[in-house]
Amino acid sequence: MFKKIRQSFSVAGYNFRQWRRNPRIIITFLLAFILCFLLSDKAVAFAEEHQTTMQIAEAFIWTFGDSNSILLSSLLLILLFSDMPFLSSGTPFYLMRINRRIWVMGQAIYIFLAAGVYLLFILVSTSLVCMTNSFTANMWSKTAAILGYSGEGQAIALPALVKTLEMSHPYQCMASIFFLMLLYALVLIFFMLFFNIWKGQAAGVISVFAFSIYGFLLNPENLQSLFRLPDELAYKTRVWVGWLSPLNQATYHMHNFGYDNLPRLWQTYAIGGALLLLLMLLSLWAIRRYSFHFRGTEGGA
Amino acid sequence: MKSIIKLENLSKSFGEDLVLKSVNREFEEGKIHGIVGNNGSGKTVMMKCVCGFLQPSQGRVFVNYKQVGKEVDFPENMGIIIETPGFLPNLSGLKNLELLASLQRRIHKEIIRQTIRRVGLDPDMKKPVGKYSLGMRQRLGIAQAIMEDPSLLVLDEPFNGLDKNGTGQMRTLIKDLREQGKTILLASHNQIDIDELCDTVCEMDAGVMTMIR
Repeated sequence: MFKKIRQSFSVAGYNFRQWRRNPRIIITFLLAFILCFLLSDKAVAFAEEHQTTMQIAEAFIWTFGDSNSILLSSLLLILLFSDMPFLSSGTPFYLMRINRRIWVMGQAIYIFLAAGVYLLFILVSTSLVCMTNSFTANMWSKTAAILGYSGEGQAIALPALVKTLEMSHPYQCMASIFFLMLLYALVLIFFMLFFNIWKGQAAGVISVFAFSIYGFLLNPENLQSLFRLPDELAYKTRVWVGWLSPLNQATYHMHNFGYDNLPRLWQTYAIGGALLLLLMLLSLWAIRRYSFHFRGTEGGA
Repeated sequence: MKSIIKLENLSKSFGEDLVLKSVNREFEEGKIHGIVGNNGSGKTVMMKCVCGFLQPSQGRVFVNYKQVGKEVDFPENMGIIIETPGFLPNLSGLKNLELLASLQRRIHKEIIRQTIRRVGLDPDMKKPVGKYSLGMRQRLGIAQAIMEDPSLLVLDEPFNGLDKNGTGQMRTLIKDLREQGKTILLASHNQIDIDELCDTVCEMDAGVMTMIR
């Protein structure tokens, strides 16, 4: 058992070693930084305009408390994992020393760690953007109070809601948003892994776009304006969408904080965890019949 | 003598393209078995089926009496080199082999160093593999195939990129391995390699295997 775990981590380590001087990885992280800079600009500009300070995690909270920002950041993950299922010309030498299941477990460990590193980078980048005008204490800033209580947050499309301010503290809220984003990213990438192994690389990419579009289209505001829903029906739609859309499940304010029927945070974690487990089991099933085609070794048949 | 590899009605197709056509063959233990054939004849596909990388469309592959893909994912105790060997370009040859050896932890560092010397490379060379010539990479590929002392070797074009001197050294090495009782499946374009080294020779042509010698 211990040997298999060690071998799985070695496979993950092999993938990480290919990050060194890899232009695709460098571009992904550069684009992620630019994305953080552009997306968090609204919150930072608002604080500067009102000459108020921010809590250091608030730029991340207001930026990635929004489903569109989560969607955009997750699309960059496709670039990070575009070489899935990670078959280089060195892979045969690894495979001959392990088995198929260990190889998939190694890929799963790599996906967990790589997605974690990517989201930590996003967290640090957004904190850096507002660093000069921020404090570290675990309390909401004056900027947050203005955004939440005056309704100005809604006016400039920042999800600074009263329920967020009153039900949590900045670091707890940041941790919740981080784990929701991580869960969404992991489900997305495991979808890609499973379809990649089961039906090929093109199917993997298509599945990930289909998954993202499904989440994007199941947006309560879009549905309300599209079908001109009355308020009561709009609320019900919002609740349904909160449960059905993975993107809304990943959005912090689309959760139940005690007074509506949206999913609670623990329910989202449980659903996401169950989905991850299912996708992992499906990947382990699909790998049994998988044919390996290695990049850089394909010559004459 | 025992058959270490057995192919039973082995067929492989990619979509409409039938690459292997019902291949039946047994390869005896302790010999060098040569496979010749033009590009696209099915040599590499056959070898990948033996290694367990490709699932046969029909038929079965047995290595060491175990069905590949059913009883084992990949044959145990087998060393391989499939065309151009790939390594982590930023690491030295020694470090690359150490990483591979760490998966099974069967051998220690000194054995790896000896194997690198055996293929004509310097284990203390700090140069990263990314800066190796094709011939040096090929030697390192052969080193990774033999370092854990497997009883069976599948070598697909092992002399690719080697100069005359290197080819001579590798031929001697392969002969030594046979003397040690290893079974070797060797695919090559070069008729001289096949004539000089192999005990049995099969020809692949459009997915059909024919015994020549």
